[in-house]
Amino acid sequence: MSKTLEKKPTAQSAEPRPEVIAIRKTCGDAEGTGLSHYVLMDKQVAR
Amino acid sequence: MSVAAQTLRDGGLDRGPGSPFQPFDIDHPTHIAVVAPDTAFWALVRKERLAEILAGGPLVEEFGAKAAAFADEIDRLRFHLKPSAVYFNPTERCNLNCSYCYIPSEMRRAGEQMDKPKLLAALETLHAYFRGHMPADRLPQIIFHGAEPLLAREAIFAGIEAFGDRFRFGVQTNATLLDDAAVEFLTSHGVGIGLSLDGPTAAVADRTRRRWNGDGVFDHVVRAIERLDGYAGYNVICTMTKENLPHLTQMVEFFHDRRVPACMLNVTRCTQEGARTMHGSDDEVARAYLAALERTHELYRETGRKLVVANFANILIAILAPTARRLMCDISPCGGGRSFFALAPNGDLFPCSEFIGLAEFSGGNLFDRPIDDILKSPPFQKVIGRKVEDIAGCDVCPIRHFCGSPCPAEAYEMNGGMQQKGAFCHFYEEQVRYALRLIADGRHEDFLWDGWDDGTDVTCAIGTN
Repeated sequence: MSKTLEKKPTAQSAEPRPEVIAIRKTCGDAEGTGLSHYVLMDKQVAR
Repeated sequence: MSVAAQTLRDGGLDRGPGSPFQPFDIDHPTHIAVVAPDTAFWALVRKERLAEILAGGPLVEEFGAKAAAFADEIDRLRFHLKPSAVYFNPTERCNLNCSYCYIPSEMRRAGEQMDKPKLLAALETLHAYFRGHMPADRLPQIIFHGAEPLLAREAIFAGIEAFGDRFRFGVQTNATLLDDAAVEFLTSHGVGIGLSLDGPTAAVADRTRRRWNGDGVFDHVVRAIERLDGYAGYNVICTMTKENLPHLTQMVEFFHDRRVPACMLNVTRCTQEGARTMHGSDDEVARAYLAALERTHELYRETGRKLVVANFANILIAILAPTARRLMCDISPCGGGRSFFALAPNGDLFPCSEFIGLAEFSGGNLFDRPIDDILKSPPFQKVIGRKVEDIAGCDVCPIRHFCGSPCPAEAYEMNGGMQQKGAFCHFYEEQVRYALRLIADGRHEDFLWDGWDDGTDVTCAIGTN
């Protein structure tokens, strides 16, 4: 499950956003297994 | 007609001859999205520079260089996964009669239930199957589901004890039977726990989730949430219905106040007829849902503590890192029958729990037919073969791989066939539009669980500094 306290909320900036924004990440070991009846948030269940 | 609606109707505005990109208006003041749908690649560009940017330059060059790899990645995700999870229904029975349940009421009243030997035998068979199909360092997942799985508590706890080193376990429960001893057992065994609660007060929650005699169960669920406080491996599902839409913002406040780590705000799946009078219109659902998401962000800013809305987080991840998605409803083909399958108490396998009430979708019985054969059976192939390219409207939709046109069971039962859309097309559009606005504003990480991208590699990063 998530480590919910590690980051801070994104600071709001007055700077204009870039003209082009494109983000893509890849996961070599795709293993989505959840359906909408159950939350599978992370690959590691807390133990 | 809005620009966005026209975009979807026409399959793209100003697409330009030969351009792989379809513009998709996101109702943002400065940026518009462009999507190359088949690869699920997207970019956000300043509206006044759209034509110039699509005419050539870094974005077009980057996509040109990587399009084949992106296409391979999506192909792998869509067509080459192997099952690694089972939604294991040890009982058809339930002590509740929730108004929107996808399991027929006659099953829930007096259906079949596994005893301990049968449950252990099923786990043994599943273990043998997965060991032949999964890497040794990866554990398959068993999610005890229902109906109410804790009605078969003795059997499932025995299964968790016996197979704890061979599966990762989860249980989705209505919480009525989740007493102190059950919480102690499940948390000490690292079992993921999903609860259900449809309102921030008994008056709201008990409208949809009730016992057969009409009594509500709000108090039970709240006690379970209190018992689970501090356990990272639990979450709560709220099903959005006409009854609770006006209270959705208070719902997330309620969850946040009780330190629930994650929740889902789910649409009402309309596979069974009883659910079809319960769901709000797409616009009503989208309005309440997006307001609730915004409230979670305010709460994060106020307290420094996130409440992750997991189904929305999954849409964001589908956009940012398609192969890192966790939930497999919002992808085409959906995960039913190919990344997971469902087991009924009599041993029959179905592509997904959503099909358990539809006997024609049984692919065969675990106890008398090899699982490999069942996965190749016509009912499974029918679900696995449902893809957006074959669904009118979805085939030209720029966001078809961020939505996936769920759900096949719903389309089959409600809309007259597997090759029809599901029930919530516009709602998915609005989710994607909102997700892209968050990215345009640089706020998206605030809606994701920290560490969501552990194990991923960056394959494109433009304008991210």
